Amino acid sequence: MNETRKWALHRISAIILTPLFFWVYFSLILLSTKNYQEAIYFFENPLFAILTIILFFIGFFHAKISLSEIFEDYIQNQKIKDVANILVLILCIIIPTIILILLVYKI
Amino acid sequence: MTDNQNPLSPHLQIYRWHISSLLSITHRISGVINLFALILIFFWLLVLSLGESNYEFFLLVINSFIGKFILIGFTWSMSFHILSGIRHLVWDMGYGFEIKTANISGIIVIISSLILTIIFWLLGRGLI
Repeated sequence: MNETRKWALHRISAIILTPLFFWVYFSLILLSTKNYQEAIYFFENPLFAILTIILFFIGFFHAKISLSEIFEDYIQNQKIKDVANILVLILCIIIPTIILILLVYKI
Repeated sequence: MTDNQNPLSPHLQIYRWHISSLLSITHRISGVINLFALILIFFWLLVLSLGESNYEFFLLVINSFIGKFILIGFTWSMSFHILSGIRHLVWDMGYGFEIKTANISGIIVIISSLILTIIFWLLGRGLI
């Protein structure tokens, strides 16, 4: 992916994430006062599931671009930088995928 | 590429602190904290899938003093990162580069992030 495209996608993902983060934090603060049954009921709502899946995929995509940028600035050794980038990439694929499976196949 | 002896780019310990540099590094740090917040949300959903007794224990942890401290910290980190991100987007559009404007917008970001965190908790807890 070329740098200009990365730059643009980073901004676009940020704009998509803004309302999603408002929604998810409000929901979590609310959920922290609710019991198990109410939480399950919350997550069975298809809208909640779809928004959560979008949040995780775009959130980790945004994080991947940002972290590569941070590694570029602070890690001098190219090998360590490559390994760090690969580890982050694996994390950014695995976590959203587990979320997708959890929410699609019902908790 | 082999190691070279050039210094690494952001010289945090060398430059004198300004609002601009403070916000720049805090934006990065809060971004990384937000990643941990996302991982916490991931575990939140994972625990929910493990059944009632596990989830009740998780709620106990979340509602303890340390749990609340972490949640409020995450809320502030998210508020700050979003507001500071908006400041960056305005810069990307070519506005707000004058030193005075940048300092004022920086202070606005810091204060609003605290206010936003308070509003989040008051709304989420049904207090307003």
